[in-house]
Amino acid sequence: MIVVPIPGPIPVTVIGGFLGAGKTTLVNHVLRAGSRRYAVLVNDFGALNVDSRLIAGQDGAVVSLANGCVCCSIGPDLGGTLATVAARRPAPEHILIEASGVSDPWRIAQLVKLEEGVALDAVLVLVDAAAFPEQLADPYLTDTLERQLARADLVVLNKTDLAPPGLAAAAVRRIRGDVGLVKVAHAALPDALLGGALLGDSPPCAASRFHAGPPEHGFRTWLWDDPAPFDRAALAAVLDGLPPSVLRLKGMCSTGRDGAPHLLQLAGRRWSLTPVPAGPTPGLVMIGTSVLPAADALAALFRTALLTKTAVPFPA
Amino acid sequence: MRRAAQVFTARRIITMNPSVPYATHVAVRDGRILGYGAADDVAAFGPAELDARFADKVIMPGFVEGHSHAFEGMTWLDPYLGYFDRRGPDGRVWPGLKGIEAVVQRLREAEGALDDPAAPVTAWGFDPIYFGGPRMVRADLDRVSVTRPVVVTHASGHIMNVNGVALHQAGFTQSTDLDGLVRDADGALTGELLGPEAMGRVRRVVGGASMERALDVPGLRRFAGLAQAAGVTTAADLLNDLTPETVASYHMVTGETGFPLRIVPALAARSYGLQDGIARWRELRRQSNDKLHFGLVKLVVDGSIQGFTARLRWPGYHNGAPNGMWYVAPAQLAGIVAAYHEAGAHLHIHTNGDEASEAAVEMIGRALAAHPRLDHRHTLQHCQMPDEALYRRIKALGICCNIFANHIYYWGDAHAALTMGPSRAARMDACGTALRLGVDFAIHSDAPITPLAPLFTAWCAVNRRTASDRRLGPEECIPVAAALRAITLGAAYTMRLDHLVGSIDVGKFADFTVLDADPLTADPMALRDIGVHATVVGGYVSAPAA
Repeated sequence: MIVVPIPGPIPVTVIGGFLGAGKTTLVNHVLRAGSRRYAVLVNDFGALNVDSRLIAGQDGAVVSLANGCVCCSIGPDLGGTLATVAARRPAPEHILIEASGVSDPWRIAQLVKLEEGVALDAVLVLVDAAAFPEQLADPYLTDTLERQLARADLVVLNKTDLAPPGLAAAAVRRIRGDVGLVKVAHAALPDALLGGALLGDSPPCAASRFHAGPPEHGFRTWLWDDPAPFDRAALAAVLDGLPPSVLRLKGMCSTGRDGAPHLLQLAGRRWSLTPVPAGPTPGLVMIGTSVLPAADALAALFRTALLTKTAVPFPA
Repeated sequence: MRRAAQVFTARRIITMNPSVPYATHVAVRDGRILGYGAADDVAAFGPAELDARFADKVIMPGFVEGHSHAFEGMTWLDPYLGYFDRRGPDGRVWPGLKGIEAVVQRLREAEGALDDPAAPVTAWGFDPIYFGGPRMVRADLDRVSVTRPVVVTHASGHIMNVNGVALHQAGFTQSTDLDGLVRDADGALTGELLGPEAMGRVRRVVGGASMERALDVPGLRRFAGLAQAAGVTTAADLLNDLTPETVASYHMVTGETGFPLRIVPALAARSYGLQDGIARWRELRRQSNDKLHFGLVKLVVDGSIQGFTARLRWPGYHNGAPNGMWYVAPAQLAGIVAAYHEAGAHLHIHTNGDEASEAAVEMIGRALAAHPRLDHRHTLQHCQMPDEALYRRIKALGICCNIFANHIYYWGDAHAALTMGPSRAARMDACGTALRLGVDFAIHSDAPITPLAPLFTAWCAVNRRTASDRRLGPEECIPVAAALRAITLGAAYTMRLDHLVGSIDVGKFADFTVLDADPLTADPMALRDIGVHATVVGGYVSAPAA
């Protein structure tokens, strides 16, 4: 498969979750790994504890790291900070925003959607698997936690090494029965779930036309590389009907009789189809939990959305 | 040779100093109080210049406003749109506007006075709650201009109305997914914007938010002029990010002999990371002077009651609105309070709703258990809803309260009808309970949210009359003498300045407020009408602007 950068605005992922859920740890992983040119907007740079040997320079509120990533305190004006960071050259490949522990991260996402040159990738909300049930029972906190989850695209259940995640998962499900739920420890979220490389950079395998990859970190991937165009309405129906085990789906596809190329991005329940210039090879990568439907079932499902096939109802 | 004393004489001097509560003469040297009493008492200080210009007036200790914002000095650059008449820093009284048509008219006048065709029309102080129904909509402001943005900030500072040009510039359309965009029955934007996200975008993209201009030297002078006219000689600037530029402006004005105000800024903890904030607080403490007193740190825990963003305990909002916002969640508050408390800082904590007050009390209690400290004087600001049980905890922990008495007049009717219902509204801003329990308390205006006028604030605490002239909870009324203490020594105590200002006592700054009538003998309902004749700061006399 040819590596082609996907064109378009800079994706922005909002990381929410209550205090202690692991947001700062996650951001630290991302900055240290530097797998792409990340720009990270945080509430309190001091809390990050970035190794001073990693810091290459500072320009105003923006701290540059030796690996090409930058980090910046949000300050009182999120939109302004976002615009400043997005305008940097070289431009960041991906922007992460760490929401404050008490804010509703979707409200940050709404501001992202208003800025030019950036596009909302997803809102991920971290939950402390060990502490969540008790936090939720605290009348001081209940509604703050419920508001954070209400509009999350994906929920990341963290610290599953410290506590069996069942109780916390059930508590999350009571608030959001439909949300994709990821279980991790030490905030070690695979890059692909952060909206990083799903396609184009390092596909796990492209030997077969569709393929369910081996579990990696307990996640499953699935590829679709049929270049045939989709029927837009049928594709929308398929995407809307995907089960919560589907966490992300991303890639290029064509739609309609003219086969217009589009960038398809899905995070949890939310997806978008954006027209792009012709070029990148069509192909979609899905990442899901360990109970992602089998590869042939997924393939059958997506085949129903192809323009040339007769749509058949998906078995319930 | 020592300089001769300066002696002011008055019809009566109310000292707020219980050892000698009343006098007719006060002697001043080097800007400080040397002595007081009758003519004979001050004769003992040797030859003196007798200043008899206040001989038929009443002198009190200079009023102390424990919760105001110096940015009021900036808001008056824009037209005022409030419902009530209000005096600006130049002494001009802006008539209150009684309906949307009058508001549009004033905005059209302001629009006509602008030269730059692209400049926004900006205004402040708008409060449609008094219009009994109609809200302002985009079409109203489109009558002001269809070529330049119009941005109106509400009195609370938490809501805006804008016109079509401003909506367009901000990128807000019917399909925009953003909380806080008010819509009509058809889903179209009305131009009313709620909350920091939508308003923040307008501020950045369109510009022109009246309550967001950076404080500068002329603004500080205007603020001092407003304070002086109201008889205030010491005022808090209770939420400031205290950038080097702002601190330089403070130093410039407070270094002038004739500057008529002592300023007590509070560091906005939210503008800094925790450790950076503590470091900045330490740095600033060494930069105080006689008219500039650093040391306070401000935390904001919840929003406002009338905006339905304050955090309330059961049963929540009377009209069923969902509970408000934690600006700082209790778990986070615990860490912040503990860190500043341990460092030795003096916390002023904004809590409007009773759930927020309870959380702050709880976290101060925990901090005190971990790091006991006598005389901490941590203060709950606004403190509008604690019941008697919470007040008992407040008392037991040595917490001070600065109570938002002006709310009773301005929003008391709305609190009874909408936010709290009749029972809780009757005990809101419970100065009576604080007084009975011996809680150290002050009362405040939160200027520019309501006008800076301590005698009016005292009138509210004494009479508890709403704008519709209903008496809200008569049992919580306090005597005039207690209210006068709250606007002098009470407020000074909450700012740890009671050894310097707030009463007339030997060694304290010679700060006086000169009144046309005696508040202790006047009809309590006339308290707010007593004229401020002049102020004295460090022995230096200032007369109000025209």
